[in-house]
Amino acid sequence: MNSFKLEIVTPTKIQDEGQVEHIRCPGLDGYFGVMANHREAIIGLGVGEIKVTQNGKDHFLATSGGFAEITKEKVGLLLETYEQAEEIDAARAEAALKRAQERKDAKDVDVTRKDISLLRAANRLKVSKR
Amino acid sequence: MKMVAAAKMRRAQERMEEARPYEKRLTDLINNLLPDVDRDLLDLLDVREINRVGYVVVTSDRGMAGSFNTNVLKVAQNEIDAIGKEKVDVFCIGKKARDHFKRRDYNIIENHLDFWNDLNFGDAIQIGAGVISHFTNHHVDEIHVVYNEFVNVATQYVESEVLLPLVFEDAEKQTVGKLYEPNKDDIIKSLIPRHLNVQMWKYLLESYASEQAARMLAMENATENAQEMIKDLTLEFNKARQAAITTEMLEIVSGAEALQSE
Repeated sequence: MNSFKLEIVTPTKIQDEGQVEHIRCPGLDGYFGVMANHREAIIGLGVGEIKVTQNGKDHFLATSGGFAEITKEKVGLLLETYEQAEEIDAARAEAALKRAQERKDAKDVDVTRKDISLLRAANRLKVSKR
Repeated sequence: MKMVAAAKMRRAQERMEEARPYEKRLTDLINNLLPDVDRDLLDLLDVREINRVGYVVVTSDRGMAGSFNTNVLKVAQNEIDAIGKEKVDVFCIGKKARDHFKRRDYNIIENHLDFWNDLNFGDAIQIGAGVISHFTNHHVDEIHVVYNEFVNVATQYVESEVLLPLVFEDAEKQTVGKLYEPNKDDIIKSLIPRHLNVQMWKYLLESYASEQAARMLAMENATENAQEMIKDLTLEFNKARQAAITTEMLEIVSGAEALQSE
């Protein structure tokens, strides 16, 4: 299977993932897949999980959103934050989800911030179970 | 303490380097997209008539860093007083700013304290979110940031910059057959707040590196002063000791002479 170079850029580090065969990302309008020789594109990413297929094996990342920059040479994911599935502490993620759900009923926090934190917490928990 | 500050400063410098590629790629993306987008859609670029102003003042939680905090607070206060303090909302980053502006009864909107030791990008996002909503809700028409810019170990400048509305230079229109999903407007709408977060992150890192550099210098001066003082005091002590011995000897000698002459 053809492969392409994947690079994850965050404000705190650049992670060179090497050659991968396929990635699946949470686009703002739904999940999409990228394979080698994809058309050049800039795609907005939302909260969700990223699946990376490398040497026939899948691994998962949780992200709070960002952008995918697809060029001829490589794919760059510009993410504000991401976590590897193995790195996520499921118990903590669960506690965060609970907190976010409780906060949802409170009136003082503005709605979008509340929804996003709920979404993020649920997403992290999901990815941690991969 | 000097060594600790030196190590922390080096780490902060590394993080500044690490943030650069992300920042550059975001800025490049924005510059590529902006010519094709209707700027009126973007409320963070909205230039309004200025009635109220927001000030983000970045200081440290702890002192012992020479004039690091004093300088930044002085500049911030001068600027705020020039506008009139009743027209200014203050965002205090670090305990020193909080203490300063609270004591003088300024209009404080948010305090962000006790995060410097465990500084991470989440802090920048949190501060950014508060600042953004204050601006987009029309509470203020402009946001300034006052912080210490890290030039090198010996030099830090106090910088005052306009954070919002964001200003981008007019870039040339790009005509590449790229695919934009979902569309250019939505992409740029989510790009710009992220750009602001990374800007905030940069301010925090600059300030943190400056703080540690200032502390390093302050501690070095303190060590030097202490050594100087030890030298002076040792001299003083030896003089006093010698004087005491001389008096004692004089007493003994004069005592012995008195005995002999009897």
